[in-house]
Amino acid sequence: MLKKLLQFNWFTFLSVLALAAIGVVFIKSAGEARMATSLQDAWRLHAATALFGLILYFTLSFLDYRKILDLSSTPYYLIAMILLVAVLAFGDKVYGGKRWLWFFQPSEIAKLAVILMVAKVFGRSRSTNTFRDLLYGLGLLALPAFLILAEPDLGTALVLVPAILVMLLCARVCLRVLIPVLAACMLAAVAVLAAVHVAETTNNLQTKETIYRYLPLKEHQRARLRTFLNPEADPYGGGWNLRQAKISIGSGSLTGKGIGKGEQKFLGYLPPSVSMNDFIFCVLAEETGFVGASVVLSLFGVLLLSGLWTALRCPDDRGRLTVIGILTLVFVHVYVNIAMSIGLMPITGLPLPFISAGKTFLVILLAAFGIIQSVSLHREEES
Amino acid sequence: MKVSFWSILALAALFTLGLAELAMELHHVQVVDVAAFKADLAQQATRRMRKPGIRGRILDAKGGVLAESRARRDIVCDLSAFLKNGRLANTATAVDDAITHLAEALGFDRPASLTTDRITRHLRTQSAVPLCVWRDLDETALARFEERAASFPGFSVEAHAERIYPRGTFAAHLIGYTGRDRGAEDTDDIRMLAYELEMKGRAGLEAFYDDYLAGVAGAVRIPVDARGFKPRGAARDNIALGEMEERAAQDGLDLELTIDPDLQSVVEKQLDGVRGACVVLDPRNGAVLALASAPTFNPNDFVPFVSAKRYRELSEDPDHPLLNRATAGLYAPGSTFKPVTALAAFRAGINPQDEYECTGVYKLGDMRLHCWNRWGQGPMDLHHALEQSCNPYFARIGYLMGTNTLFRTAREFGFEAKTGIDYAPERSGSLVSPPFYPGLACQSAIGQGRLQVTPLQMAVECAALANGGKVFTPFLKKRAAELPPPEPMRTISCKPDEFEYVRNGMRAVVEGAKGTGKAIGGLKVSSAGKTGTAQLGGGEKDTWIIAFAPYENPTVAVAMIVERGDSGGKTVAPRVHAILASLFGEKEE
Repeated sequence: MLKKLLQFNWFTFLSVLALAAIGVVFIKSAGEARMATSLQDAWRLHAATALFGLILYFTLSFLDYRKILDLSSTPYYLIAMILLVAVLAFGDKVYGGKRWLWFFQPSEIAKLAVILMVAKVFGRSRSTNTFRDLLYGLGLLALPAFLILAEPDLGTALVLVPAILVMLLCARVCLRVLIPVLAACMLAAVAVLAAVHVAETTNNLQTKETIYRYLPLKEHQRARLRTFLNPEADPYGGGWNLRQAKISIGSGSLTGKGIGKGEQKFLGYLPPSVSMNDFIFCVLAEETGFVGASVVLSLFGVLLLSGLWTALRCPDDRGRLTVIGILTLVFVHVYVNIAMSIGLMPITGLPLPFISAGKTFLVILLAAFGIIQSVSLHREEES
Repeated sequence: MKVSFWSILALAALFTLGLAELAMELHHVQVVDVAAFKADLAQQATRRMRKPGIRGRILDAKGGVLAESRARRDIVCDLSAFLKNGRLANTATAVDDAITHLAEALGFDRPASLTTDRITRHLRTQSAVPLCVWRDLDETALARFEERAASFPGFSVEAHAERIYPRGTFAAHLIGYTGRDRGAEDTDDIRMLAYELEMKGRAGLEAFYDDYLAGVAGAVRIPVDARGFKPRGAARDNIALGEMEERAAQDGLDLELTIDPDLQSVVEKQLDGVRGACVVLDPRNGAVLALASAPTFNPNDFVPFVSAKRYRELSEDPDHPLLNRATAGLYAPGSTFKPVTALAAFRAGINPQDEYECTGVYKLGDMRLHCWNRWGQGPMDLHHALEQSCNPYFARIGYLMGTNTLFRTAREFGFEAKTGIDYAPERSGSLVSPPFYPGLACQSAIGQGRLQVTPLQMAVECAALANGGKVFTPFLKKRAAELPPPEPMRTISCKPDEFEYVRNGMRAVVEGAKGTGKAIGGLKVSSAGKTGTAQLGGGEKDTWIIAFAPYENPTVAVAMIVERGDSGGKTVAPRVHAILASLFGEKEE
């Protein structure tokens, strides 16, 4: 038992707790600016969800992660895919997208499903690294990604890509193809941005039309890229959210305005509909300043690095891949969420892990970190 | 193992670098550029709101109040108290219902103009400004509201300045009136929010001295939320952003006038019931002691704004009550112009002792100029021609000197030009206009022809005759005591004995045996004057008097016109007598 306590990764556990608590505080703060009681009380729900998630966390952490992967990853993956199809068929339409099934978001469930599935497939000791394996791995990613894209939810679909690609890279799956493919993807991303830039700055209408005919972008996606490339162009239209996010963060200054005293939040300049979710970092940064933002960044740093420490100490590929997949997913969420609110990336609807209000994602995250804890606790047992 | 130590290390480096980049960028936004973002916040989350200064009073020479600002109390509605989610129309409906409920509870009529459309417009354009529901409530109504105010959150009483003219029609043309208007510093770029537009002078001294009376509006920055409403509840209590005064309001100055209230009352009484005008000047400096035009109006009708119906009534009235006849009415001066002709005659080298036989008519070609006495008045010299206002005599000297000398002298008296009084509107009138014809000089010499003058110009003429040729610019705003007495605008270049001759003739008008203006006299002091009866054709006449007193050392000069009178001597002279008697007293028999 003492050994178990020593093997327990206290750093990930405590930083998860701290981040979830911070989430409760700032969901409460964001809710104070809202009229609806349900939104004012959203922090209670977040706390309750975190408690439920912690039960899952401990349950999973005391199970052997190898058993979890072997027994549950395939059914979990299948169920997730069925839910993704179901949400397309029966989902509630919110903000022009079908993302909700009853009370949860299947796309969040699918994130962990893909990571576990890929970890299981490529973590087997006898697995090969052929081109067919790569295609299989990419297929496991592509299926949910396209289903999520159909909701449509580009952000969630895209966030899976780096997590799975990092896993495949670490598992050295057919690197001679994977690395060129990755390079090509990066080039393509740069090319799309460049094309939008050319289209938006050119005076030639025909050029603009031609470019957009061949770019598979929807109007709102174009607008977001436009805002990203030229944030000053339309401060009251497409640039509003970014401008307000930056004013919130910037006016927070070094020490902030005090918890619960954010002016941008209270006066509704920071769009109230997203202040609890995708823009909660702005509320936090406005009220606690650079100091508070740095504390949060540091907590994420502790979480990620201590998680990687667990991966390092894990003697098998399954454990390492699982941990790496989950951590990469969290890192991408954190990076994209904060970077978009200060204009380093285009606006994308990605929540800040543990802090943004969002029941499904919080439960999935706690479950995922429960599995990481399991890797930490069970790494020395023989499979 | 496939997942190597190095790939985990590489990931650790990636995570660390990514978070470090975010930290550096946040440092830039929150520490380096903080001032710019704070400024952006202050700029977008506040609105500039006007705080008007209190408009100055207008006082008569004895300190009596002619115009002032009083506190008007309104029940206003703070719209943010009824803010609803979703469409603005939802909020407008909530406000509308609340007003209806309050109206029922108080037993007031719902203001008819306050439609849902109007509420919506207010919400859209100035949601941070309270909406005025009931305007200008009396004590009873306010007390009734205060009793129930607690159960109607969102409604409150606010006081605002409103113009009031305590003496009603008294000196109405002089004072003028105010309307509501945007301030001068409001441009389309910087439009300030305002509870209501400021009072701005629209006519009379209110308009002429608007800058002096108005003061300067202050500006207050008030916080507003993203929808333009004042923050309420938790938002108001928790944010640091509050009201801040950007610029203090400056109150306007009090305008003290030269108007003698007692004299003005007498003058207005003498004009009661007729169409006409009267100006009383101090011939020693040009101060306007009284100035009135009849019929008149009540400037309180224009507060807070004049109804379209009332304005149409006033502007379409055939008697033109809004016209200030004293400064902007144009009339033929008739015989009151003859003293000018007499002085011009000296310049032309005409000997005042030369006699001319008045036969009752002066003929020039086809033109016939009749004397008021159809039978002729016999032999006349200049003195008697003035005393008895003999038309043929003056027609003849007009013929002898021609228009050049006559009009040059008239221009020295200030005719055909604005007097420069601190008042608007003022008209300059004219001495002559085409076409010219041979008898023009004769007609002009007796104050007919094409002469067009204002009663104010006649008062200036009378003052110049009284003081021996000094033409003063008339003024209404009291001069500060420490200033030197005003210098005349011009001194008429006639010899003192020539002036004395004409003045003497004018005294004979009042005091001579055959004087046409004997009704002016009978005062404790000796006075002088000139009657005038301008023929308008169709038997209609405008009747005039100019007069000054005391003769030796004049302190007042009066010009008065009554439209459609019988004659200057009969119609106007008794009125001028009453005016002078109020100052100098009746002669005791």
